[in-house]
Amino acid sequence: MLQRLLLVLLLFGPIAVFAQTRTVTGRIVSAKDNTPLPGASVLVKGSNTGTVSDPDGNFKLQVNDPAATILVIRFIGMEQQEVPISNSPLNVALRSSGKDLGEVEIVVAYGVAKKSSYTGSVSQIKGDELVNRQVSSVSKALQGLAAGVQSTATSGQPGSDATIRIRGVGSINASADPLYVLDGVPYGGSLNAINPSDIESISVLKDAASSALYGSRGANGVIIITTKKGRKLGTTIDARVSQGFSKRAVKDYEKVSTDQYFEMYWEAIRNAGLTNGLSAATAATQASTNLVRRLGINPYGTAFPQPVGTDGKLVAGAKTLWNDDWNDAMQRTGHRTQADLSISGATEKSRYYISGGYLNDQGIYLGSGFKRYNVRSNVEIDAKKWLKIGLNLGGAHSDQQAPPSEDSRSDNYVNYGRLMSGFYPIYQRDRATGAYLLDAKGDKMFDYGSYRPSAANTNSNLVGTSAIDKHNLSRDDISARIYGEATLWKGLKFKTSYNADYTARNQHEYTNPVYGFDAEVGGTVEKISTRTFSWTFNNILTYEQTFNEKHHLNLLAGQETYKFTNTFTDGQRSGFSLLGLDELSDASLIKDLQGYTDTYNLYSYLGRAEYDYLGKYFLSASVRSDRSSRFAPDHAWGTFWSIGGSWKATEEDFLKGSSWLNLLTLRASYGAQGNDNLGDDSYYNYYPLLNVNSNLGEGGTYRRFLYNKLLKWETNLNLNIGVDYSMFNNRFGGTIEFFQRKSKDLLYSKPLPPSLGYSAIDQNVGALKNTGVEVTLHGVPVKTRNFSWVVDLNMTHYKNKITELPQKEIISGTKKLMVGRSIYDFWIREWAGVDEKTGLPLWYINNADGTKGITNNYSAASQYYNSSSLPDLYGGLTNTFNYKEFSLSFLIAYSLGGKVLDQDYLFLLGTGTAAGRPFATEMQNHWTPENTKTDVPKLTTIQTNWTQTSSRFLYDASYARLKTVNLSYNLPKSLMERAHLNNVQIYLQGENLFTLYKHKGLDPEQSVGGTTYYRYPAIKSLSAGINLSF
Amino acid sequence: MIMKKNLFIIIIAALVLGSCSKDFLETKPTNAVPDDEVFNTVDNVETVINGTWAYMFEEFFTYAVPGYKSIHLTSDAMGSDVAVTTVYGLRDSYAFTEMTDNTKNRVNAFWTILYKVIDNCNNIIARIDNATGDDTKKQRIKGQAYALRANCYLTLASYYQFNRTGTEKAVPIYLEPTSSTSVGKPKSTITQVYQQVIADLQKALPLLKDYERNPAQKWKIDLNVVNGLLARAYLYNHQWTQAISSAVAARNGYPLMSGDDYNKGFNDLNNVEWIWAHGQTPNQSNASYNFHFLDVSTPAAYYQSFMADPYFKNFFDSADARFRLFDWDTLPDQEGYLRYKKFRFRDASALVGDLVLMRSAEMYLIEAEAYTRNGNNAKGAEALNALRTARNAVPYKGGGSLLDSILIERRKELWGEGFALSDIIRTGGTVVRKPFLSYTGEDSIINVIRADGSTLEVAAQGHLTLKQPDGQPFTAYSPYYLFAIPISEVQNNPNLNN
Repeated sequence: MLQRLLLVLLLFGPIAVFAQTRTVTGRIVSAKDNTPLPGASVLVKGSNTGTVSDPDGNFKLQVNDPAATILVIRFIGMEQQEVPISNSPLNVALRSSGKDLGEVEIVVAYGVAKKSSYTGSVSQIKGDELVNRQVSSVSKALQGLAAGVQSTATSGQPGSDATIRIRGVGSINASADPLYVLDGVPYGGSLNAINPSDIESISVLKDAASSALYGSRGANGVIIITTKKGRKLGTTIDARVSQGFSKRAVKDYEKVSTDQYFEMYWEAIRNAGLTNGLSAATAATQASTNLVRRLGINPYGTAFPQPVGTDGKLVAGAKTLWNDDWNDAMQRTGHRTQADLSISGATEKSRYYISGGYLNDQGIYLGSGFKRYNVRSNVEIDAKKWLKIGLNLGGAHSDQQAPPSEDSRSDNYVNYGRLMSGFYPIYQRDRATGAYLLDAKGDKMFDYGSYRPSAANTNSNLVGTSAIDKHNLSRDDISARIYGEATLWKGLKFKTSYNADYTARNQHEYTNPVYGFDAEVGGTVEKISTRTFSWTFNNILTYEQTFNEKHHLNLLAGQETYKFTNTFTDGQRSGFSLLGLDELSDASLIKDLQGYTDTYNLYSYLGRAEYDYLGKYFLSASVRSDRSSRFAPDHAWGTFWSIGGSWKATEEDFLKGSSWLNLLTLRASYGAQGNDNLGDDSYYNYYPLLNVNSNLGEGGTYRRFLYNKLLKWETNLNLNIGVDYSMFNNRFGGTIEFFQRKSKDLLYSKPLPPSLGYSAIDQNVGALKNTGVEVTLHGVPVKTRNFSWVVDLNMTHYKNKITELPQKEIISGTKKLMVGRSIYDFWIREWAGVDEKTGLPLWYINNADGTKGITNNYSAASQYYNSSSLPDLYGGLTNTFNYKEFSLSFLIAYSLGGKVLDQDYLFLLGTGTAAGRPFATEMQNHWTPENTKTDVPKLTTIQTNWTQTSSRFLYDASYARLKTVNLSYNLPKSLMERAHLNNVQIYLQGENLFTLYKHKGLDPEQSVGGTTYYRYPAIKSLSAGINLSF
Repeated sequence: MIMKKNLFIIIIAALVLGSCSKDFLETKPTNAVPDDEVFNTVDNVETVINGTWAYMFEEFFTYAVPGYKSIHLTSDAMGSDVAVTTVYGLRDSYAFTEMTDNTKNRVNAFWTILYKVIDNCNNIIARIDNATGDDTKKQRIKGQAYALRANCYLTLASYYQFNRTGTEKAVPIYLEPTSSTSVGKPKSTITQVYQQVIADLQKALPLLKDYERNPAQKWKIDLNVVNGLLARAYLYNHQWTQAISSAVAARNGYPLMSGDDYNKGFNDLNNVEWIWAHGQTPNQSNASYNFHFLDVSTPAAYYQSFMADPYFKNFFDSADARFRLFDWDTLPDQEGYLRYKKFRFRDASALVGDLVLMRSAEMYLIEAEAYTRNGNNAKGAEALNALRTARNAVPYKGGGSLLDSILIERRKELWGEGFALSDIIRTGGTVVRKPFLSYTGEDSIINVIRADGSTLEVAAQGHLTLKQPDGQPFTAYSPYYLFAIPISEVQNNPNLNN
């Protein structure tokens, strides 16, 4: 519908009659280096008529008023200039208004700053870089765009968020997630409720100087999302529509064919018989007779009751009557539709941005998808000369279909098709002929496989039930930012704001009463309702003044209050009488009902001072004190601070006139940020509490956790040293930064001997250090009138080191923590190969005499440090080519080094203990008396433990992924003018089209810790879209 | 720029509004209560008994470890008579590769459950004297806390160490509530652990002497339960005469059930013979998850792991009421397995079934064993035959070892109830697992009648794991029989082996 409307607009909108007008053209440049100034405003004096300059600094303006004589040219950071209207092209050179020349403004904590003089470390991503991305959550768009940001999209489920780590993990037990800030205030809603099209910019604050003002929660970095505002005078309407298709980004693991499987499974049964002492002949006969019974089905038909002979080979003439691909059946080509419409603009006294968005992102697995409806209204009014008020209001409703797609559970939609063998038919078949069995209506009937062994999901068929069962998650998000800013005196301003984020999440899980997993209990239904409401109220005074035209001072002081409430209700029932009913009221048996409310709050004071001298020397300092409700009153306050300085060398006389060096800034900062986030359900760990439960109708309580009333803030001490440079007319530039993040008083669950009744107690113990280097390079290797090539490269390398622990070593999962090691070092059993004599798996063991021995007993084998999951280098490379109206850009995200422990794969590597479960092709290389030099043990139905976690399954995690490719074409300007359009862009966009990686089958984007969890793999997509601006 | 007086008022108002009141800053949970509010009155302390019990039975560690009762299933899976199928759950315990590996979740789970219950009991015992309220109730709760703690230490003694000399180092003992500064204790000897169990139970006896529980609440510990626990403790610690008197006291009022009742699925605590049991309802059914492993005949049971070793059937004569429970499986994917349909969900649509913890039959068997070991074969045979008669089995008439007969009768009567491994550990027995083959060494073929009436010849399925993981045959006092102490304990308790 929307598309049709746009088409109508496109065809008929432009027809208009023009009055007698004058056309003024011109070019706006910076007076210093003659570079064009895009986005400068050009206004007819005394009117609302105006335009802005294009990327080359050119503008063209229709002036209808014959009386108009003067144009006013404005650009941020430049002195305003008035020029007379003339018929010949105007060439306007604007001068710097202050000390800084036309510089990039970046959004920072509680305000904006100029990039080149800012003392902190900030990466800014512009909305333009996000707007055409085919992602449903903004977190997924951050990958590869900013140095120091490690974004891993561990799930391809539409609507899911990526995990973001900034400059490594600074905490072991407390949260390592960054703080998200929306329009200046910590954001408590759903990340995927924000429409990337509404985003003006994203700032990533990485060091102390930049994020200490959010001190209490800034320890893991801060991501500031700023939504769009109206800027240009007049009204601009932007409409965007795109359509696309998606598929799995990388192929799943290769599996053996049915013929190979039957022969291999025969061998597994035979070998087990031999181990149990049967004669070779008996073992072979037993294997032949038992094979079909063990697997539950004979895909060769009743004509071949024993399809594998006692020689272990398929008998002559045996052919499979069916071979179904469950993995294919569980997947489809996903469709994606996105449409956004925004109206933005400004009058002399107001600025507005109003938008609506629609997204329908269908998943590649059956029953998965994400639909979102967005509205946003950002309005700012200059109510009085001294008073500015504004309201940013965003609302989103989303419906996510999210079937289980992680975890080893048997109804995991991703694992299901992978773990089903092709000899189990999807639809019921005649066992003699292989023909489909049809129901009374002549339709095929799903085969729920009551005959299948348990490893092949007895009594289930997700291809069939995915259409009936429900895994729905609907969310309603409302986010409001209301503020007023009053100018009290010269440079003295007071800003107050009230900000609220509301999220209602409703999860509806339903399994039907007739088919599949829960048919025996008459189906199940679960409804989970989560309501979160958070508000922030802050009052900030700022004072900015320049003294003697040399000393520039900027002061900020304020107070902030934050409150978060989370209300949870969960009810479960089972036993539906009818198919087609799926609500709680429709089921007969109450299984579970629970609910609780948690609250958390912060009370804070903050202050900052910034000073610069002659625009050369910059100093900043900030301090913030927070009182957190997560700690006992006498330990609740934490004070965080930062100091920073920078020196803009190119402002010095000896460099000022440099012909080649445009910018050289040295900067450094140091400071402390805090972390009180012990986890989403850990709000009261300082208090002696007993958990409430009940037993058979009587109220119960019990001591579940040990409290620690001494708990206090975790502190991150951050050192950042950086150089920004730019040269050759700003054609080449970049930033090099060195950082060191030291966390102390880690909020750590110190392990206890569980015989004390508790496995751990939360304490402030231990220290971590992350040290690294980030390099950002920007270059314009080619720039001609019609063609330009721009390269952006960022690289990050860091090391993680544990510097203090409460005890010598702590094993946690597949890792072991020790002073001097990193939290990413695998501590697992070490694979020693396959015993050439027996075909059994071997692992290393520490002998009593200190030597390293070999054992085939997994439980006895010793654990060792086995490499690290931490990559050596990661980042992104963007190339952008512009030729006339064409633009091609592509981003390659890469991660080099580090290991991943592939647990997904293990399911396909059984030696035959799980009847019916497929073998990966690699299993063909299994040990036999003839094939003794192999790293795959012999097939047997007896457990050998070989698929238990060991270094055998550590794989190189390096990859490079063509994250995004964008080819766009802007329709010629001449056409636009006649159509009254500002711009029409058509584009093709691809995501994840190509991936370079080593270990086939596993999507290389896995968790930072290098472990896998049977997750929804990344998708690749191809879309076409059109953007209209008028 | 104009200075507005009003603005200052606004600013001050804003700062006042934004400043914090005490109410704002104090947050409290809604699903937990401060501990001083709990331990102040006797009525509130009773909630700790309830809550601890619920934790013990209903806490899932994984689906394979649904609470305390899972210890009993593991015990049987590691014995001689349950031929665990290869499905999820107890497969690795059955193969003796799980409980010996101190990194396994199940190893950690059992240890955690038992010691968390112990700490909660320690809190009750230490703090109830200062609570206000009815003194009789105070006595009763304290008695129940002593007995529950004793049960935990008895369980630890049963699975974590042999009791050959009594001096073997077993597990640490804690009698005081854990605080944030507590440190791990060293292992006590197996004798010390048994002494602690007996001391606790002896303390519980007088405290519970007047307590009469509601018969529907068989999970609550009363005098019979304490005596039953004492009977076990004395038997396991080779104190035969005390075992006899305690066993007799324990079964007082709980006559042996009928043969028909034995066939009703072992899922109902109203059974006359059950002394101690944990009830289940549709909205408290986590512990019932154990039936998914135990129950081999209800279609809704997920795993149906507990098949019988076909050799087990040979222990019974066909008139035995228990013999009726054997049935060759007719489900297409389980043909050839021998079902022993002792455990069945009480309600297959709600998936619930009560869990038995102690019954009179065991007390008869304790009595029989203790008499026999004490040299009184006549009384021993009498107690054994009391049970055999009730089951319509052929009574013991001499010939063969009486003690062996009693131990085999324990396997027959208590199959699936958690005594298989603890009996092997305490008696120095051996796991017996033989391949189920015909005399020619080939498959033993049986005829199965399918649901559609057709007959099918299939190979009977017996044990799959026939040897220890090291490839050696099962032997007495094999280290594979003992439960490992989890690595988290080994790592974080420097005093453990002091």
